[in-house]
Amino acid sequence: MSRMHARLARVTCAAGAAALAAGCAGVQSALEPGGVEAARIDLLLRAVTIFCTLVLVGVLVATAVALAGRRGWRARLASERLVVGAGIVFPLVALSVLLGFSVRVMSLGGAAAGSGLYLDGDMGNALAAGSGLRIAVTGERWWWRVVYVTPDGRRFETANELRVPVGEPVPVLLDSADVIHSFWVPKLAGKLDMIPGRVNTLTLVATEAGISRGQCAEYCGGAHALMAFYVVAMPPREFATWLARESGPAAVPDTREAVAGQALFATHGCGGCHAIRGTAAAGTIGPDLTHVGSRLSLGAGILPNDADAMARWVRDNQHVKPENLMPPYGIFTRAELGELVAYLEQLE
Amino acid sequence: MPGTRPRPPRWRQWLRHAGVLLAAGVIGGALFVWSGVYNVAASDDHWAVTTWLLERVRVQSVSTWSSFVDEPPPLESVEKVKLGAAHFEGGCTPCHSRPGDTANAIVAAMLPPPPPLGPEVATMDAEEIFWIVKHGLKFTAMPAWPTQQRDDEVWAVTAFLVRLPELSPREYRELSGAVRAGDEHKSATELAAATEALSLTECVRCHGDAATPPLSAYVPLLNGQSAAYLERALAEYAATTRSSGIMQPVASLMTPEEHRRLAAWYAALEPPPMRHERAPGNAERGQRLAQQGDPERGLPPCLACHSAAHPESFPSLAGQSAAYLELQLAVFRSGARDGTVHGQIMSVIARRLSREQAADVAAWFASLPPGGAPRLGAAQ
Repeated sequence: MSRMHARLARVTCAAGAAALAAGCAGVQSALEPGGVEAARIDLLLRAVTIFCTLVLVGVLVATAVALAGRRGWRARLASERLVVGAGIVFPLVALSVLLGFSVRVMSLGGAAAGSGLYLDGDMGNALAAGSGLRIAVTGERWWWRVVYVTPDGRRFETANELRVPVGEPVPVLLDSADVIHSFWVPKLAGKLDMIPGRVNTLTLVATEAGISRGQCAEYCGGAHALMAFYVVAMPPREFATWLARESGPAAVPDTREAVAGQALFATHGCGGCHAIRGTAAAGTIGPDLTHVGSRLSLGAGILPNDADAMARWVRDNQHVKPENLMPPYGIFTRAELGELVAYLEQLE
Repeated sequence: MPGTRPRPPRWRQWLRHAGVLLAAGVIGGALFVWSGVYNVAASDDHWAVTTWLLERVRVQSVSTWSSFVDEPPPLESVEKVKLGAAHFEGGCTPCHSRPGDTANAIVAAMLPPPPPLGPEVATMDAEEIFWIVKHGLKFTAMPAWPTQQRDDEVWAVTAFLVRLPELSPREYRELSGAVRAGDEHKSATELAAATEALSLTECVRCHGDAATPPLSAYVPLLNGQSAAYLERALAEYAATTRSSGIMQPVASLMTPEEHRRLAAWYAALEPPPMRHERAPGNAERGQRLAQQGDPERGLPPCLACHSAAHPESFPSLAGQSAAYLELQLAVFRSGARDGTVHGQIMSVIARRLSREQAADVAAWFASLPPGGAPRLGAAQ
């Protein structure tokens, strides 16, 4: 190989490795666990990977010896003791140990966190049966309806984002309003399907404060790839403050622009699908917008939460997320759109 | 003999003859066209054989192509016939003349002349009439329907044409509204006497005024509707972004200033005494749908938009005929109103409504007095 070819090969390998490594880090990485169940899955992954690597190396060495080794070694390799020992006894023992270890790790996750299956399929019953903070997430096409139930029994709805206190196990009850979705936030836990007519429970225990990104993990239609969400883990005191604010009614607009935007919201049918607590808008078809201004993202995790993105969503949502169920609202003038967005952005 | 070529085979000789003939034909054709010896004058009638050929091609073609037309909807409805007659009066009589009238001199000098339709349509079946009205005829002045997306309008005209052979001139004037607008001479006098007065003859004939209701259940009531909405509707018709073979020609013949004045005139009108037809839908279910929506199907309450809080964007529906509302929901469903940003919103909603829900909601809005839709939440 010429020097230039050699250099090209080295650079390509380095770039490829860097790209792979980038995919291994970040808010959605299963290799950087931030929650208890993700940590268990990560432990299992490492154990199985190391074991399998060792077995692979052993098999490759044995193959090399079988092909090119000295006659003495090859004879020893072919002996019946080695075949029975390494081919039957070793796999039986090693795989049994591994299986036992895996079951122990995963059932620890199950038993300790109290997750179970409610087969009656009624989210209301499931929520009422619990105590302490719990969150109900309903998969919709193609967004997440999130209902918090506080320890003192208050319920309020939000959308497309979860916030949890660090260190406290939070049962997340999952079901679906239409087709099968799947709730997956790799940094915190494994996947769990959201099946219509059935309530599954996933217990999230965040071990450190931070932001994790999740997405839908079961094909649910055209916009499945554009159905994501963020989970924010906060220290308990900050979480309590946030909970108190989020459960309250919407902020009252005080600038001229925002007041005009509120009037536009009220007269253009937005309240028919969207709810803003504290106003007349009480629609349940689309996401709750009471505190939309304080979310990390728009459109179920696919747009940043700023004025431009909000305007783009209102006017062009069919281009951002084709076939989503909101009609395209191209009827606002540029000025009106600015006012509407100013109103929505101040709903923090 | 030395020096002579062998004779070519038979088939090659024939091929050479054919080639010569073909070349002669092409050159002859080119000479014929270029020299202009063929007389295209309309004053000079065709040869009998040309006429026979053209008519035969037309009859056979219409017969074949109309076999792809869908099953006709019921054509006996007098509301459809009135709508078709009203459009015929404005859009077709300039060439085809009213029943009982003689053709004017200009029309009579066309080749082929637009025939008086009574005898013509008596020999055709409904699908053939529909096909000609929708697609027009090549090599004639018969235009296609201005939009290909409104089969409902073409069927209304077809329904009228099917009835035409048995109509007397007086019955025709009643059906088409020609009696309602008064004498043509009178409106011309009005125009001459007061130059500010709009010629309302055409609009009033179909849409009525403060004293008369719309001519047909398929014609919307404009009295008391938002002026801004009416103006925008006319602008959209004129720009052909809103599909209607009946309204597009009407709107495009007027200037934007005339649009504005007409819209303001109708917006200020009191509603006429209306006759209430039996609507097929269930008005009670329709009221529930209008006030609460149907979240299972992703339907917000109709009154969330159509509560008269913002009629420029979302027109008042109260007091419109149920037939018209159901028709428009079907038009939205078909995608014919996807050309405007307002239409795009309602098209999404209309596709989520079942046929039954559309009938129910139309029945409820029709049962309200014009201008009387309550705001969302008032009755909750």
